[in-house]
Amino acid sequence: MDISPKIRNNLKVRPLYILFMIFGLQVGVGIMGAPRFIFMESMQDSWISILIAWAAMVIVIYVMFQILKQYPNADIFGIQVDLFGKWVGSILGTIYILFFLASLLSVLLTYVNVIQLFLYPTFPPIIIGSSVLLLAHYCVIGGVRSVVGAAFLFSVLPLWLLFLLYDPITRMDWYHFLPVFQSSIPELLKGAKSTTYTLTGFEILFVFYPFLTKKNKVLKPALFGVTATTILLLIFMIISIGYFSPDELKKDDWATLTLFKSVSYPFIERLDYIVVVGWMMVILPNLVILLWASSYGLKRLYRIKQKSSLHVTFVVLIVLVGFIKENHIIYKITDYVSQVSFWLIFVYPLILLPIVLIKKKWLSKKKKGSDAK
Amino acid sequence: MRKKQKRSKNSIFPLPIDQLLETIQSKFEGNDDLKISKHEHNGKKLVLFYIEYQADSDMLQNYLLRPILHIKKDWTNDELINHIPLTSPNKETELEKILEGLIVGHVFIYVEGESEAVSYSIVKKETRSLEKAETESLVLGPKISFTESLKTNLNIIRWRIKSTDLVVEELKVGKTVPAGVRLVYMKSIANEVDVNTMRQRIEDLDIDEVEDSIVLKQYLEDSQNNLFPQFDSTELPDRFTYGLTKGKIGVLMENSPTGIVAPATLFSYLESTEDLYMRWQAGSFLRILRFMSMFFSVLVTPAYVAVVTYQYGIIPTQLLISLGQSRAAVPFPPLIEALILEFLIELLREAGARLPTKVGQTMGIVGGIVIGQAAVEAGLTSNILIIVIAMSALASFTTPSYLLGTTIRLIRFPMIVLAGIFGLYGIIFGICFLIIHLLNLKSLGRPYLVPLYPLQLKDFNKVFFRTPFNHLNKRARSYRPKDLIRFSKQEAEKRKDIDE
Repeated sequence: MDISPKIRNNLKVRPLYILFMIFGLQVGVGIMGAPRFIFMESMQDSWISILIAWAAMVIVIYVMFQILKQYPNADIFGIQVDLFGKWVGSILGTIYILFFLASLLSVLLTYVNVIQLFLYPTFPPIIIGSSVLLLAHYCVIGGVRSVVGAAFLFSVLPLWLLFLLYDPITRMDWYHFLPVFQSSIPELLKGAKSTTYTLTGFEILFVFYPFLTKKNKVLKPALFGVTATTILLLIFMIISIGYFSPDELKKDDWATLTLFKSVSYPFIERLDYIVVVGWMMVILPNLVILLWASSYGLKRLYRIKQKSSLHVTFVVLIVLVGFIKENHIIYKITDYVSQVSFWLIFVYPLILLPIVLIKKKWLSKKKKGSDAK
Repeated sequence: MRKKQKRSKNSIFPLPIDQLLETIQSKFEGNDDLKISKHEHNGKKLVLFYIEYQADSDMLQNYLLRPILHIKKDWTNDELINHIPLTSPNKETELEKILEGLIVGHVFIYVEGESEAVSYSIVKKETRSLEKAETESLVLGPKISFTESLKTNLNIIRWRIKSTDLVVEELKVGKTVPAGVRLVYMKSIANEVDVNTMRQRIEDLDIDEVEDSIVLKQYLEDSQNNLFPQFDSTELPDRFTYGLTKGKIGVLMENSPTGIVAPATLFSYLESTEDLYMRWQAGSFLRILRFMSMFFSVLVTPAYVAVVTYQYGIIPTQLLISLGQSRAAVPFPPLIEALILEFLIELLREAGARLPTKVGQTMGIVGGIVIGQAAVEAGLTSNILIIVIAMSALASFTTPSYLLGTTIRLIRFPMIVLAGIFGLYGIIFGICFLIIHLLNLKSLGRPYLVPLYPLQLKDFNKVFFRTPFNHLNKRARSYRPKDLIRFSKQEAEKRKDIDE
């Protein structure tokens, strides 16, 4: 396996698009329920937790960038093979792919769950799930440029929904934030950790890096991407704290969606229907990028055609969506993904960097030694 | 040296006149329109042959036959050419070339014993005169439209772009029925890669015949398995040359009044040259109006169906009451109701297009009102749905490109069915599908949604609005022109103080 895949020039995209890849992958189903999870841990100081999470992300992205910089054009699959050898590297790569598929499944199941909850209680989940997957599949078939395009368009298009938030903003009670700094530092950190599920997504930098032109300009858009997500999460968090009473917020599974319930116009009521349905556009980048990343990863690791790996994952996912119906299993999968993502995405790069640096140093020393001889 | 050898190899001359005529007549066996006239002078024989109605008989008599018969000296090729008062004689030696020439109206003269036959082109071709554009009508701007004659069309274009930059390349398509195709572009502006791609695609075509340039367009397009047209086609010379000056490539074909312009984007179909002739405020307004009406036309009927069938919570109570009253007598579900009416509208529209003259239009409108009124009274549909469908039909007429308009007409039906089955979820599914579909599309290998994706922020003022001309000193990057600069901005934008 090549450590640095050779990508044709006309498949490469500007570094700007990594912003939308990260933003599109981070914003998904997580943000619908995030305010409640964070609030449970750190109460009215939840916004501080989000800022802590942001700082952590910035550090991790910087570390990821340092790792990638050691190679000319490599992705995580290649780097792991280079560091740990063919076998261990392939196993670690497979873990990454399984993680992508698991988060894809959890996104899909959660969305199906929400649609059933808000709109169609009797609708068979397999139809909702497979219809969304079909869209993602169609997009991935179009190639990497379509995937980036979908990530870009579908993360920009639903932003108009934010304008609807003016209504809950006018009904906010700012005293809900007082007293400030009541939570202890462990509580704040716990709150920050509970954002993990929402904020996973920047790991795509590890996979997508070879597809970018101008590698030295990648860091900035990547940081902007996580910052944009953080700002979005902060907006929803602050409005939720102000709009709901603490007890209400603790009970509301889908606080973000409930925010839109109070908006109404003389010609249109119940905008939450449109928001829930329109959320398909928000989760599509998730599905498209994850489906692409896992099928591409399978192609990289096992040298099978991406088309066949895509078809196989597609069918497997549809079957799983058809079988998993119980809510507690969905919660369990989500919980599991969230646990794994903390270790795989936040901690693992920090371990990887010293290994990469030591290996590089060792190699250069060895090279120097052989030169001296 | 080699060329000479090759020539003598294929040459059928010199040969006796009788033998030549025999060969040609055997090729035209069964045709009575091959005319032959033999003459003799000073012991030299000469034969003149042509196809009756393809050559202009007046010119044949006055400018060919009469001078030939008045020559006193012995007939030779040079002597003939000197005496015949017509330009550009051709000398042919191959049988194939002679046959090709005969078909398109050349007259051949062969003097026995010479090694070449002389031919003159005195083509007589019936064409219609220039007329006003019918399918793409403009309120402002040039009214003329292309005709079926390639020469006339090229003539119009040359008059519109009086520059040596304009290149007209001659190509051919079709095996059994060959037809001339012209590749037209601006040498200094058009992207060479695009020109080469287009030329390659035309040359690689391996088909027996092409009926019309719109058919040729479908052969040349990137993919035939999708809904949207990928090359622009127009009958307006000004729209054609507007594309050329933006760095696009034009294709014209014999016997076709439609020019092809490529590459195209979704948004280029919504641009009209009329936007340029308006003042910029009005031009921008109209362009935005067209964008909105495209979305409106696709979405409004499905939205009605979805909301009335499933999510009626969205409609405010007041409106819901009047909606309910108007639907009270209707026995069908909204999906069937909408499909019936849409079908009716499409019928009227198609009938209007097939009816001769302008009567069709008035018939359509009157028929629409009468049938609509009756349908409501008979309890087949509700009033509000008639308003909704009429609005969506009106909106679909605003697209400047007829082809895109047809696509929009077509998209509505699956959207209505989706809305009828899945409600709002179905509509969003349809929208997402369309967006991904458009993302996957290419026109001449270039992305179809540019400048939206790949993002070209600097092109937004040229594509979505019509900004004042002194700000448009650059061409749109989206079409990758070779030369980006139209004029220097410093000259145009010297800021002046009051009263200076």
